[in-house]
Amino acid sequence: MADDTQDINRPQRWDIPFQSELPEDLAIPMSEQDVERMLQIPLFRKMDASRFPKNTSLHDILLNDSRMRRFKAGDVIVRQGDYGNSAFIVLSGSARVILDKLGETSKERQETDRKSFFSALAQRWRNPRMPEVRNLRDRTSKHSYGETEFISRSEAVFVQDINVIVKDKKTVDLPAGELFGEIAALSRTARTTTVIAGADSEMLEIRWQGLREIRLRSPEFKEYIDKLYRDHSLKNHLRETAMFRHLDDPTLEIVAAATEFLTFGNFEWYASYSKIREATASERIQKEPVVAQEGHYPNGVYLVRSGFARLSEAYNNVERTVSYLGRGQIFGFEEAATNWKEKKDLPFQRSLRAVGYVDVLFVPTAILEQHVFPSLPASEFPPPYTRPVSRGWSPDSPDTKISTEMMEFIVEQRFINGTAAMIIDMDRCTRCDDCVRACAAAHDNNPRFLRHGPIEEGFMIANACMHCQDPVCMIGCPTGAIHRKSAHGHVVINDLTCIGCATCANSCPYSNIQMVTARNADGQPFYDKATNQPIQKAAKCDLCSTQITGPACANACPHDALVRMDMRSVDRLAQWMNKR
Amino acid sequence: MDEQTMTLENRRYLGWTLFAVAALFAWLLDYALRVHLRRAGLVTGLMLFAVVILLTLFNARKKLPFLPLLRASTWMQVHIYVGLLSCVLFLLHAGLKVPRGGLETGLAVLFYLVSASGVVGLAISRWLPSRMTILGENVIFERIPALRTAVRCDVEDMVVESVAKTQSSTIADFYELKLRNYFSRRCSFWHHIVGYGQPILQLLSEAQAVDRYLNAEERGIMTRIVEQIHVKNNLDFQQARQGLLKAWLFIHIPLTYSMILVAVVHGYLAWKLS
Repeated sequence: MADDTQDINRPQRWDIPFQSELPEDLAIPMSEQDVERMLQIPLFRKMDASRFPKNTSLHDILLNDSRMRRFKAGDVIVRQGDYGNSAFIVLSGSARVILDKLGETSKERQETDRKSFFSALAQRWRNPRMPEVRNLRDRTSKHSYGETEFISRSEAVFVQDINVIVKDKKTVDLPAGELFGEIAALSRTARTTTVIAGADSEMLEIRWQGLREIRLRSPEFKEYIDKLYRDHSLKNHLRETAMFRHLDDPTLEIVAAATEFLTFGNFEWYASYSKIREATASERIQKEPVVAQEGHYPNGVYLVRSGFARLSEAYNNVERTVSYLGRGQIFGFEEAATNWKEKKDLPFQRSLRAVGYVDVLFVPTAILEQHVFPSLPASEFPPPYTRPVSRGWSPDSPDTKISTEMMEFIVEQRFINGTAAMIIDMDRCTRCDDCVRACAAAHDNNPRFLRHGPIEEGFMIANACMHCQDPVCMIGCPTGAIHRKSAHGHVVINDLTCIGCATCANSCPYSNIQMVTARNADGQPFYDKATNQPIQKAAKCDLCSTQITGPACANACPHDALVRMDMRSVDRLAQWMNKR
Repeated sequence: MDEQTMTLENRRYLGWTLFAVAALFAWLLDYALRVHLRRAGLVTGLMLFAVVILLTLFNARKKLPFLPLLRASTWMQVHIYVGLLSCVLFLLHAGLKVPRGGLETGLAVLFYLVSASGVVGLAISRWLPSRMTILGENVIFERIPALRTAVRCDVEDMVVESVAKTQSSTIADFYELKLRNYFSRRCSFWHHIVGYGQPILQLLSEAQAVDRYLNAEERGIMTRIVEQIHVKNNLDFQQARQGLLKAWLFIHIPLTYSMILVAVVHGYLAWKLS
């Protein structure tokens, strides 16, 4: 029975507009006049407003999903390596894109909302006694915005002498009207470049939920974004790849022009994932789209742009998984380079299959032989090819120190997506639940994971958010409550803007997001005034991003049985698994 | 090489080496004090008390998971080797002789019990988990009673189904005679601890013996019941072993606090009487 004092209005998508998430010293109120001004920008003026539904009009998107930002010349707008949830349109002034790498900046950065030692200690006494306690009545309190990670003016990064910093760097100035940052925002990936204000500038920042709506409703905008995507992303990606790094700009242009964008599998793979899990191993692998087939002529190299691919080889009548490839990894280079250098006719030695979906860049062999291999430094060529010994059964995967069964397991269950998967060594775990208690102590008295999950060779992949490389849980979130922290890409939920729609929980292929009932300090649930249903919030592991210790679960395990593992690093995974 | 990348074997070597060095130092110190007719008992007693307090702090560390107080696994290693060191210090302090007086005897007995429960706890912590992983399906301890009830309800439904469908009471009779008790309560705790499978084998053998009295339809139901016998057996197995892994701490920790209290009294009296 709902207590009258517990009745509130269910949170709605635009209860908290994007501009309200800024610290007070940066917030610029967005008025109706401002929105009208934005609608006159050429980018929006071309759009047919009638294509937008009434409850998600272009006007409302601009009012609620965008905000004005002002930058002084030299202010950093976005940082290379940071994870972005928004894109920017230059309204006045200019944005300077630094094309060259500035080093690993994000790894050195600390989370901005980490607790101090004393506030961490105070949790011992201040934590509510009941689970999932929230103050939902005071939803407008500025103090509640602690989870957002916008840099207030006092903490903003300002490049003192911008000319010195960019002197030897390639830069491009974007004038008023140009859009940037859309790649990271729409593809849930890290920023590929740093952008600073070239002059005192005014920008319109649009969060990706708004971008997604506009892209969905406006074919012109979609075309524009896709063109930018191709123009900006491709050359950056090629520049990052070792085999193209030595090329001069004109040659890189030729390679870029010949490069094909290919997509295999279904972008919304998570929708059918539960069905696929029920199939047998051989059925699953047969359903995976083949990118390149073992034994075929190597007609080019494949660069994985996003998603994952399974590297397999034929073993009698079946395919045996050898390894997996993720963003930035290459397939077919050894074969193509060996054929050119040693005048051989070597076919693909392994097959490449899309796991879920994979976006690849395909560079034809003819282009490589004409423009890349002749000038490729000798050190970049693969070692001379030697015919592999016969493919008998081997307990270990040929390319790694992980057993074949384990490799099959993590690829087929798609745990390769995790950047912080919780792995528990069940041969060492005493089921003491210290990890669970530590998690609860750090999170509203309710653990954010379940010490349960599939087990292979004594290793459990527990039901804890893996902070996926491709977090598909973010795709449907209407408010942007579930987002990536800019510094390290951890996927977190802004409790204040979560409306409890459960889209993220339903989208998570691994069932690692739970819906919890929000309660007051007495443990009474909050109820929606209109429906009398309890107010729900999405809850999941946040890697203890606000705690000074990092993940409390791993720190609390007395038996070294639990680790948070980046599954992209097969070597580290093998090292940990072989430690016992 | 940090703790995360160090192999367990190397960590063990490091632990034993540090323990040996510390134990040797303690023995040399005790020897030197005795040779020079100093109060070796007081020094080793204070050292022992300090070590016990350090060991007890491990439990306090567990209550503060949000503070950067080193990883719990580091504390665990320290706890193991410092625990061994405490045994060395106890021997230096009290020797192998039986203490005189009730308080000292009680304190010695508490120390033996705490040490023994610690060693047993460590042994079962290393021995049971891998066998639990290999032999049974992993289940969460707190859910076991609910799962057991669900299994019992499923089996009772099957029994009712068999009577309704076949108009035969064979399975129902067998359930009343042999299975009701089995599905109603936790069974064979010690058998599961030592890994002795006789009770389940006997039950399965009895189920097999009933087979000759079943028709095809009943046999299908009986097969499903036998599957549930295995499921229930796994629940008992997990509850017994997980329970033991949790229960030993309920002996070790209260005894430790009792020992500290008695040790304080012992120290006070020793100081007063000296």
